[in-house]
Amino acid sequence: MGLINDNPENPFKEAIPGSPAFITSIDKVVNWARSNSLWPLTFGTSCCAIEVMMAAGAAHHDLARFGAEVARPSPRQADLLVIAGTIVKRMEPLLKTLYDQMAEPKYVIATGACAISGGPFIYDSYTTIRGAHEVIPVDVYVPGCPPRPEAFFYGLLTLQKMIIEGQTIAKPFERRKPVLSVLPPRIKLEQIRDELVKNLTARSVTDLNQNPKELGL
Amino acid sequence: MSQTIESFKLLLENAFSEPLTYLEASQLLTIKVQENQLFATLKTLKETLKFDALIDHAGVDWPNENKIELIYILFSTHHNQQIMVSADIDRNQPTPPSVSSLWAIAEWQEREVFDLLGVTYKNHPDLRRLFLEDNWVGSPLRKDYKDDFILERPW
Repeated sequence: MGLINDNPENPFKEAIPGSPAFITSIDKVVNWARSNSLWPLTFGTSCCAIEVMMAAGAAHHDLARFGAEVARPSPRQADLLVIAGTIVKRMEPLLKTLYDQMAEPKYVIATGACAISGGPFIYDSYTTIRGAHEVIPVDVYVPGCPPRPEAFFYGLLTLQKMIIEGQTIAKPFERRKPVLSVLPPRIKLEQIRDELVKNLTARSVTDLNQNPKELGL
Repeated sequence: MSQTIESFKLLLENAFSEPLTYLEASQLLTIKVQENQLFATLKTLKETLKFDALIDHAGVDWPNENKIELIYILFSTHHNQQIMVSADIDRNQPTPPSVSSLWAIAEWQEREVFDLLGVTYKNHPDLRRLFLEDNWVGSPLRKDYKDDFILERPW
């Protein structure tokens, strides 16, 4: 926190100002505190931003349950950069600047197919960057196009677990490879679909069991 | 002030001395003009027929016909009518006249077409790139555009 890390042997030396004698016992508290107050930067470049920032942050799914609801419009006050959307060549220097402006410790989650690999724009595109890891180091990948809020929460919980265990890419000697956070197998696609059906039926948006042929489609 | 298409077509034909070429390809009322009559036609549409809004201006690349088609979609708040003007220009030397003196918004829309299709407008006050980097080489929306960054589709 403000001190320069001269000794990469001890990854936590720069984390706490003061005597290194206390550090081993404070590690767990600091990591626990950091993992439970991840303030995300309000940064979205396309449709994933709607899903991740608005759907996940709104009342139904409620990002505040995981202590990450305080979206900061300034990178100086943010801990977590959620790359939600396509990164194009013109966006690349801006994304790099935002990442550099964030204070340590900083964490990065890349959501959606575009931020992972370029997604639908991977071929025949003259401007789409193929994966956010080409620009800045990424801690957790959340697959989906866009991912459901549950998937994003799972990615957030994965990052929290990594922080508690001290394994993030901000400490390059701890872990070099980003983690792909896929929803666990016990959550079935049917369960997600059932929830969708329940929500849509309750709000009378549409008849999900309708026959397209009767509608003349 | 809304009129039917037929009565509006009469109004349109009275404003021009020469007969108009209509295109049936679009749902919009579309007229086809030559490149050398493009500016005069648009000026007549603006000043006589009160087409005061240039809604959209775009370019289409046709490499097989060796032409670039310029599209102008105009709207008249006076007549409540929409019209599309299409003009074919040479693909190798695309130098159509700029209409930014008629509609100020054309300045930006022509910068976009210049950026992505390489059409250099004559008498444009500020013809710079809009979306791409300043040192970009080539026009990426042309069908035969290639560079080192593009990943070819493997199938």
